Amino acid sequence: MLSLAVVTFFPIIVALLLIFAGNLLSRRMVISGIVALLVVLLIALVQYVPGMEESSRSSSVDWVPSLGLNFSLYLDGLSLLFALVIVGIGVVVALYAGFYFEAVHDLYRFYRLLLTFMSAMLGLVLAGNVLTLFIAWELTSVVSFLLISFEGATSPEARKGALQALIVTGGGGLALLLGLVLLGTASGSMEMQHILADNSLRTHAWYPVFTVLILIGCFSKSAQWPLHFWLPGAMSAPTPASAYLHSATMVKAGIYLLLRLHPVLGETPLWQSGLMIFGLITLLVGALLALHQHDLKAALAYSTVSQLGALVALIGLPDGAGVKAALVGILAHSLYKAALFLTAGAVDHATGTRDLTKLGGLAKWLPGWAVVAGLAGLSMAGIPPLLGFVAKETLLDAMLESPLALLVVVVSAALTVAMALILVWDVFMGERHDSTQDVHAPDLGMLVGPAVLVCAALIAGVGVDHLVKPLVQPVLHKEIHLVLFAGFNSAFWFSLLAIGVGIVVFMTRSQWRAFTMPETPSGKQIFEGVVGGVERVGDLVLRSQNGQLRYYLFVILGTVVLLQLSAGLSHITETSFQFAWNDSTDILRGLLLLVSLGAMVASIVIRQHFMAALILGVAGYAVGGLFLLEPAPDVALVQFMVETLGTVLIIIMLAKISAPERQAAMQNLWGQSRSGLIRDGVIAILIGVGVGLFALAAVNHRATLPNTISVWHLENALPLLGFPDVVGAIVTDFRGMDTIIEITVFSVAALGVLTLLSTPDTGSDWPRHFKRLAHGFRSNVLRHELKTSKIHHAHDKAFAEPEIETVFQSHFSTPLTRSVSAIVLPFALLVALSHLLYGGEGPGDGFTAGVISGLGVALWYIVYGYNEAQRRLGWLKPRYLIGTGLTLVIANAALPLLTSQPFLTHISFDAIHLPANLHLSTTLFYETGIFLTVLGCTSTVMEAIAYPGEVEPL
Amino acid sequence: MNVIYAAATGIMFALGVFQLLRRDMIKSAMGFYILFTAINLFFFAVGAFNGQVPAYSQNLPKGQPSDPMVQALILTAIVISFGSYAILLGLIAKSARRYRTADLDTLNHLKG
Repeated sequence: MLSLAVVTFFPIIVALLLIFAGNLLSRRMVISGIVALLVVLLIALVQYVPGMEESSRSSSVDWVPSLGLNFSLYLDGLSLLFALVIVGIGVVVALYAGFYFEAVHDLYRFYRLLLTFMSAMLGLVLAGNVLTLFIAWELTSVVSFLLISFEGATSPEARKGALQALIVTGGGGLALLLGLVLLGTASGSMEMQHILADNSLRTHAWYPVFTVLILIGCFSKSAQWPLHFWLPGAMSAPTPASAYLHSATMVKAGIYLLLRLHPVLGETPLWQSGLMIFGLITLLVGALLALHQHDLKAALAYSTVSQLGALVALIGLPDGAGVKAALVGILAHSLYKAALFLTAGAVDHATGTRDLTKLGGLAKWLPGWAVVAGLAGLSMAGIPPLLGFVAKETLLDAMLESPLALLVVVVSAALTVAMALILVWDVFMGERHDSTQDVHAPDLGMLVGPAVLVCAALIAGVGVDHLVKPLVQPVLHKEIHLVLFAGFNSAFWFSLLAIGVGIVVFMTRSQWRAFTMPETPSGKQIFEGVVGGVERVGDLVLRSQNGQLRYYLFVILGTVVLLQLSAGLSHITETSFQFAWNDSTDILRGLLLLVSLGAMVASIVIRQHFMAALILGVAGYAVGGLFLLEPAPDVALVQFMVETLGTVLIIIMLAKISAPERQAAMQNLWGQSRSGLIRDGVIAILIGVGVGLFALAAVNHRATLPNTISVWHLENALPLLGFPDVVGAIVTDFRGMDTIIEITVFSVAALGVLTLLSTPDTGSDWPRHFKRLAHGFRSNVLRHELKTSKIHHAHDKAFAEPEIETVFQSHFSTPLTRSVSAIVLPFALLVALSHLLYGGEGPGDGFTAGVISGLGVALWYIVYGYNEAQRRLGWLKPRYLIGTGLTLVIANAALPLLTSQPFLTHISFDAIHLPANLHLSTTLFYETGIFLTVLGCTSTVMEAIAYPGEVEPL
Repeated sequence: MNVIYAAATGIMFALGVFQLLRRDMIKSAMGFYILFTAINLFFFAVGAFNGQVPAYSQNLPKGQPSDPMVQALILTAIVISFGSYAILLGLIAKSARRYRTADLDTLNHLKG
């Protein structure tokens, strides 16, 4: 016997196999393979049947224990009955689909969806945890959506139907989720076994709430009035999918859950009245509407709705009197309705139409199908000895107690008989109404599946005592009476009456067909109203989008201010504003801040970009000075370095934008409307006030000595690492992971700039460009590709702006600057080296070393211009540096793993004595890696931004 | 000093945001830069204690060292800010090259 998990996941594994093996096998092999595998699964399931009466089986694996979410599976009589229907009908549909779809592509796509659905559906009925059940439930909705929209690419109808079905069943699913969570909370466990053993749920205070929510979920899934409208809309799905999902399995998920929870939630007035009222209305409405359809599939869909109504009503009967009838009904309906759907598909295939007014007399061309449809129709009409007869007898028998229900059932049964006659007679018998199209009989293999189904209905009907009883009895946990013919009891006479009336209705169809049905109230109008309303609201929201990024920023920042103000204000007290100069350095600090702020204001007001950029640099330096006063030499050093680099970068970048463009942009600086300026000013001031208050609250509530981790850092840097520089110790070791991530981000940013600027400016040549990029990575670049790219490149260059390059260069490239910068770079490298080697002892580390040498490189780009700098820096390979550096850092951090020490463990090689007080430790390699990476990154960014046109592809 | 630092952070934010909202992309980028600086200053201000000497072990006996933790955080923040700034400038250079404008509103009106 297969384990339950294997059973559940079997189909989806087959689907995955199909993805990988589908193209290797022939179509015939795939079809037979899938059918054979599913038959194996069916046989495995059948083996569970004998022992089922005594026991149930379950298995459980913890999934998210904190949420009470376990992946548990639970098999008892009820799940087994449904699982058999799911796999059994699945085999038939898989076989049928093999002939139904013409294109292999469509067939495989359908198979993948079908098998995925099968797993989801098995998961639903075998779920041992209400949350797992919900997940499977939603999965079936999703796959149903995908199947309904199977031809969505070409059919708007299919898209609409799919969306409608998804919204209705998905919305019901949300109600169900809420209901199930409440149910689980009320019971104290999400496990199905626990809930099913809890008999106090009916008296729980939440009972009405979760019951109504669960009923909404079940009703939406099982297409109960007034939510039934999605099912006819779902008929755009390929016919095998309709037969499988929308008649035999998925729509019965609601029925399954009702049956599952009936023992603990049922037998209350709420349950009984809810199920009876909606079930009976659905039964009648479905049967009436079915008769008015011209489309074969729509008629079948409405008759399915009607049958689902009957099943719901049966579960609502007092004392569980209807459960037996419901179970038999499920089996009978699945068999005959699937057969009829598949027949409808074959008819459509053969004639090209499903319109009942155009069909007729097809028995001449499709004799086999006529027999199958005839038998299925007989079962639908409830004629002995088919299973449908047993189903109807038990249904009527169960309803005998309540006269109104009996009346509805008899009327609907009569209508169903008429419908069955229409479906069979008007399609296969009589005259052909529209003979414009040829009839070409479909492949005989297509007939095998439906034939199996009607044979099963026949055999199950005759041998109901031996075949159906073992399936139904374990569900009810009591001895039941189930025979084909129960004698001439009242149920039999009502059945006979229904058949008689049905035949009369059928005979007079030409008369009543003339009348149009009045519009039945359904949820469809409400649904469309809601969907339309949402769209209108969406339009309104869309109207607020003017496409101006500054406007969006305004809204975002405004929201931030509101959030921040409340946070800031709640922590501000009067003492927060107390203020005193502690010593003379405080005055110096204040001055530096003033300088910084003044420079920032100047950078806003000044109308020349170069000047603004330079003055902004002053602001950064002033803050650097502040750091120096702290005293925080490491930070100050990096601040100075990066400030310089940033200023250089923006100046190089500015040189790339032509003067007229910059002037045009600058013209608009104050040129925009006064109201816009005021708006920006107000939002800026509000943000300033908000951040200021927030900062004040934060500064006043900051950590104090000795409750801060800094103390530990101060005490342990030297003993643990041999580093006098505590900040360096934190960066390279205590928080070394941060630094690894930091330089990785930095590398990504640098490569991002490179990628950004190395894509063609015209935007018209993407495919070729990517090809070039891709080739750049490979060593064996194709000759002709290189050639074409070179030609292409020369072409691009002609359009670039050479004048900027030359003008820009002439400003800086004097003999003096050239000789100075020639000296500066080697000198910078030497300084960098000292920082690198003695980083642990004083200010500076690998990062500063990288930036210092990067500055030297930047200077070359400014002074020599791009072309000459490139030529002179031929030895510098920035991208290799990034790669080598990152590899070194990560390898060095991972090295301790070899001796099973944690990642990033510091190893000191004190035994090796080096001259000049040099310490050899893993940190040195780490710093070297950072140095290489940072040098590579800065050089890359400089190169990318300095390039006059495109950057040479990698 | 607390009030001064908080006020300076607030004013820098106001300036940065105002600058960020300009039509001129280059000015916008400068606004970002001001914001980066403001954030670093804020980090600096929430340090647990002020020191008299740099945070070096050999200095410990000489007096209260500065708080090393915030310094390490600012170091990381500076590097990341610079990375974002580089990307920002790259974007501007790109759009200026491709669309021949550094004006955001003009760019908005160019579709495609």
